[in-house]
Amino acid sequence: MSEAAIEIRNVEKRYAAHVAVRDLSLVVPRGTVYGLLGPNGAGKTTTIRMILDIIEPDRGTIDVLGRSHRDRSVQDDVGYLPEERGLYRKMQVRRVLRFLAELKGVKAKEADRRIDEWLERLTLRTAGKDWGAAKVDELSRGMQQKVQFIGALLHDPELVMLDEPFSGLDPVNAQALKDTVVELKRRGKTVIFSTHLMENAERLCDAVCIIARGEKVLDGTVSDVKAAHGARSVALALDADASPAVKAILGDRSLVTRADDSNRFFEIELADGGDAGVLLRRLVEAGAPVRRFERVQPSLHRIFLDRVGASGVEAGMSGHG
Amino acid sequence: MARLWAVIKREYLERVRTKWFLIATVFAPLFFGMITIFPIWLTARSARNVDVNNILVLDASGRGIGKRVQFALGSGPMTERDTGKTQVIELDTTQLAAAELAALDAVVKRERRGYLVVPPTIMSDTVARYAGRNASSLVEIGRISAALRDGILATRLEEEGMNAGRVMQLTSSRRIELSADQIGDRGREGRGGLVKYFFSFTIAFLLYMSIFLYSQNVMRSVLEEKQTRVAEVIVSSVRTDTLLAGKVIGVGAVGITQQILWIATSVALLYLRAPILRALKIMNPAISIPSIPLSVALLLLLFFVLGFLLYSALFASVGAMVNDDREAQQAQQPFTLLLVGTIILVQPLLINPSSDLAVWSSIFPFSAAVLMPLRLSMTSVPAWQVVASIAAMLVMIAVAIWIAARIYRVGLLMYGKRPTLGELARWVRRSA
Repeated sequence: MSEAAIEIRNVEKRYAAHVAVRDLSLVVPRGTVYGLLGPNGAGKTTTIRMILDIIEPDRGTIDVLGRSHRDRSVQDDVGYLPEERGLYRKMQVRRVLRFLAELKGVKAKEADRRIDEWLERLTLRTAGKDWGAAKVDELSRGMQQKVQFIGALLHDPELVMLDEPFSGLDPVNAQALKDTVVELKRRGKTVIFSTHLMENAERLCDAVCIIARGEKVLDGTVSDVKAAHGARSVALALDADASPAVKAILGDRSLVTRADDSNRFFEIELADGGDAGVLLRRLVEAGAPVRRFERVQPSLHRIFLDRVGASGVEAGMSGHG
Repeated sequence: MARLWAVIKREYLERVRTKWFLIATVFAPLFFGMITIFPIWLTARSARNVDVNNILVLDASGRGIGKRVQFALGSGPMTERDTGKTQVIELDTTQLAAAELAALDAVVKRERRGYLVVPPTIMSDTVARYAGRNASSLVEIGRISAALRDGILATRLEEEGMNAGRVMQLTSSRRIELSADQIGDRGREGRGGLVKYFFSFTIAFLLYMSIFLYSQNVMRSVLEEKQTRVAEVIVSSVRTDTLLAGKVIGVGAVGITQQILWIATSVALLYLRAPILRALKIMNPAISIPSIPLSVALLLLLFFVLGFLLYSALFASVGAMVNDDREAQQAQQPFTLLLVGTIILVQPLLINPSSDLAVWSSIFPFSAAVLMPLRLSMTSVPAWQVVASIAAMLVMIAVAIWIAARIYRVGLLMYGKRPTLGELARWVRRSA
């Protein structure tokens, strides 16, 4: 059994006008929650579709669960929630789900049992109302999304791929989805999801890969990524409002590149050559009532903005990552 | 295989469950029943409505012609009728004017339908008069004049010395059944040329309609998955080839189910027709539906399946290359034209099912599915032509499916602008 759930080597995909994915290599370890991060049009969906053998890469190889991604048996071990969601509108929810399960080789009877279980778990079936008997049309968008999420999991796949799973979900349903992801990981499954919402990635992911303009910007475990980018951040908390002297120190560009000012709390990024010790000494000398002074790791959000920036969002692309 | 089965099952069940299917399946045989029973009932009814009873015969002939007319009117075809109401008054010329006035009054008061005056000179100049509310009814006047002719004839025969009973026997009108045989270029073509003509036309038209409808169904099914974006989930589970095959088989099975139900109910209706007509008090008229040998029936089914396979592959690729119904309407036109062109050829083929045009158009794969069965139902077709037709279709089906599967694979996840022919060619090449 291979250690990696997914291994992508030097994959490239071109469309007539542009390169969607350029020389991408990455490894997703088994049993992890892995985030594929990037702005819209970065190549996330193209990458996911290539992993699933929905579209073919022009170059490079992809292994999924230790087999070539072209191996048909792989499909039964993978669950997929596409970004473009949709179900047969006129079909009964339960029948849609049974169909999706049967496509993955689950027997109808077993499928029915699991469908009930999931519908209850995601509160689509309560004492008062069974949405499983309703037509897809009659469900709200959020409910449809939950149904589709169930559809991706009915065959109990080893690997779950979720493309922008949180878009369009209210906080309650988003939390239900996060709980499910955690539960999957606990059961040893591998979960990959793409998102442009860094907060979700930061809380859920063990490892991430940030891509922009079809290229990998960085990858690694969340703690490694943060460690690599964390040396220059300082969290500062004061007991009173900052005096003009303190503000002058924080405005010293030879020492501080940027200070995110939240009145008594500051997220400070040290300038190149700026030293945390020097900063602390000058603050104390200026009489600042320091309550907390700590070198911290930056948020993924911060790292993402630093590394990708606004230029990473290329305009006019297909709209599918 | 399990996946193919799942796709087939969904396509089949979701269609069979719709109201549309129920309506079409139930109403089509009812409609068929209507068109087989209703005209007969209508004819019988209008025949029965020929009301030549309750008329007054003013017989001034002095030879009992009035009685003979009354008898002849009563022995008409189709239904037994009550002749009792028709009344004969034998009188002489002097009483005629007064009797006519009284008769006129009776007709005006609706006590009588009309009155017939049989003058004394009837035997020599065969002139009589009728007046009544039904004077404009060709059928009724025809009936009365036929009765009068019978009466005159019988009188003449009797005057020539024939025994009265024998005359009665010989002149009582019988309904004449005239069977009509069709003669074509190749000699006698069997009973009921007209019936056969309509029958063959119906077969061709039904084949055309069902091939068209069910191929479009496949197209709409492809388009639905594309529009609702279900396609992406499905193709992450099954190969596009499997999906396409499942669709075509599933929809085709619905078509065959429906046709079996139609044929079964139609046959049942045919058997039940006699009791139904009897219940409607109509004597069963001998209209024969041409019978088809089983071998030809199986060939018809085969041609439906082949035609459906060919056109559903073509329409499936249309469904995969467009974004909405409006675009689909446009993009399917080349294929629709092929089918409509086929229907245009039906008329010339009905007139001459053995012409060169008939032979080649029934081998040409895009029209063979409709035109070969048309010929088969009309004449005997040489075996080589049937074989050539099937072979040509099989080759074209293989090509169409090969191309359609490739367009389908690429097109299913392509949204946005409709592809040009050049782009389509690239899709086919790239996914080859």
